[in-house]
Amino acid sequence: MEDNGGEDPVNNNNDTTVSSEGSIIKVTVKTPKDKEEIAISEDASVTQFKEEISRRFKAKQDQLVLIFAGKILKDGDSLNQHGIKDGLTVHLVIKTAHKAGDGASSSTSCTSQVGSSSGSSSGPSSAAHSSTVGSTGGPASAPPQTPNILTGFGDLSSLSSMGMGSANFMELQQQMQSQLMSNPEMLSQIMENPLVQNMMSNPDLMRQMIVANPQMQQLMERNPEISHMLNNPELMRQTMELARNPAMMQEMMRNQDRALSNLESIPGGYNALRRMYTDIQEPMFSAARDQFGNNPFSALGGNSDGGVQPSRTENREPLPNPWGPPSSTNPSEGGGGTGTTGSSTTGSTNPSVSNPLGVNSASLGNGMFSSPGMQSLMQQISENPQLMQNMLSAPYMRSMMQSLAQNPDMASQNPASSPSAGTNPAQQLMMQQMLQMFAGGNASSQTPEVQFQQQLEQLGAMGFINREANLQALIATGGDVNAAIERLLGSQPS
Amino acid sequence: MLAHVDSKASHSCVKLVGCPLGGGPLLIITGNCVKVPRNFRLLEELEEGQKGVGDGTVSWGLEDDEDMTLTRWRGMIIGPPRTIYENRMYSLKVECGPRYPEAPPFVRFVTKINLNGVHNSNGVVDTRAVSALAKWQNSYSIRVVLQELRRLMMCKENMKLPQPPEGQIYTN
Repeated sequence: MEDNGGEDPVNNNNDTTVSSEGSIIKVTVKTPKDKEEIAISEDASVTQFKEEISRRFKAKQDQLVLIFAGKILKDGDSLNQHGIKDGLTVHLVIKTAHKAGDGASSSTSCTSQVGSSSGSSSGPSSAAHSSTVGSTGGPASAPPQTPNILTGFGDLSSLSSMGMGSANFMELQQQMQSQLMSNPEMLSQIMENPLVQNMMSNPDLMRQMIVANPQMQQLMERNPEISHMLNNPELMRQTMELARNPAMMQEMMRNQDRALSNLESIPGGYNALRRMYTDIQEPMFSAARDQFGNNPFSALGGNSDGGVQPSRTENREPLPNPWGPPSSTNPSEGGGGTGTTGSSTTGSTNPSVSNPLGVNSASLGNGMFSSPGMQSLMQQISENPQLMQNMLSAPYMRSMMQSLAQNPDMASQNPASSPSAGTNPAQQLMMQQMLQMFAGGNASSQTPEVQFQQQLEQLGAMGFINREANLQALIATGGDVNAAIERLLGSQPS
Repeated sequence: MLAHVDSKASHSCVKLVGCPLGGGPLLIITGNCVKVPRNFRLLEELEEGQKGVGDGTVSWGLEDDEDMTLTRWRGMIIGPPRTIYENRMYSLKVECGPRYPEAPPFVRFVTKINLNGVHNSNGVVDTRAVSALAKWQNSYSIRVVLQELRRLMMCKENMKLPQPPEGQIYTN
């Protein structure tokens, strides 16, 4: 190891500013984050320089890597050798102890939540890749029928469950999900985990994971739309990017809102929108609300405290409570997922911030979305409320809806088999029950007549004169005008 | 330090003939653009490299301080955070030919890296893969190239590529 210009034996490594040999030069040491000026003897060795730096930057010497003019300064060199003179800049990199590249650190923080260190398969992510694939294939079928689209994602926990045993597998997933939803930070943390990112950047892998879920398979069989979405790699990639990036998700949702409002201008599109809204969104939102306390998408949108709120995003308010007082905004529509007959009275509701679709429940739509696909989806959902909740929590559900919105053709391609009579009473009932269950104890304190005042008026305007029957139907459908109409019509032989 | 100023301009426009004393740059004005001679440019870049112009994530300098032709350079890229390249330092060789800065430099990695656009066998950077090289302009510099390579490391398609163990270098 070279010593500094060693004519002065006293001049050992403690030398900082005073040296009898050589003059002091001031060298700027620059890290990506900050910059310090260090005075050092121009004959000093790199080691001495590092000592000084370690003092100043409070880092260990062996963590320091110095770069000058494109070369790494080795400990045995001298500053002179590299031509380091007064006023020049040396770049410093402080090697941190944990490397995020291994996925070890960022995973430890979500260990407690996920119940596993998702990076527990330490080592190169490619190895973890295969082990993840293997593990999702297995335990995905093992646990009981939890229709959890995020099963694949949540199966990160199965990495550990391979060892730990999956006693509370479901709870674990539920917990993780609700925590994920309520804590965008953790979500982004998990998303940032290179392992997760690695997984999510592989559309095939994601697709496999999703498809491996038997519930999902069932769903897919019944709903070509979903399989369409899954089979479209571009879309998958997009949605995974979305899931990965909450900020982007937010932007995406905003764009979607805009796109949806554009749909309004298409003839028939407005109705399609309304249909879609009442069929899909409302029950989902009301469903999710109960579980998560508010609009889960607003939580996803980084609504929590301290989140950076870019000014370009607009809609942060949760959607109005459809089960609340009907006077304020659109009254509740249970979304019976049915086609309708009857005239279409187009109401006009200006799209407000909280009602981005400008949906007016008074207007009836044609059955653009009442394809068997949609219906079976609804049926599926009604049969298993859990599924809905979990489907909802999948961030890319939103994209699916977007794709549906953008491809109303796709939906209408499905042969529209007698939509009006499509939903048999059993389904209807189940749907209502489910929705009421979601509404929980949120029943209005008003009498049904008052509560459904507006709906009654609508029904009356449509020509259903029998107020009693209307009221019954409304009660049964929980205020859904369309479903009530079905009911009313269904009571007559069609 | 430098006695010879190379000005390989072959444009048939107004030329300022006459060499200022002391070997200063000979500016040749062609049309409406000013072309700075090669060595002057390279000296400037050398100085920038030593002064640490930029954000501190790349570094460059002469491979050999005695190299009068200012041809062979060394570069260093600090792997960007939140990528697989994080905490690694990538050493490069940059060769600025006689037609620099009209022509882009040749760049090759010394430290082994798995990056789209870099040959796996020898670390040579494919000119077509790096936009700064493919669409080279003479206002670009070594720094620009290094920074562009660093940006490439942050691309989705690159940021998770499995990397060889740290510290390996290309031998050919």
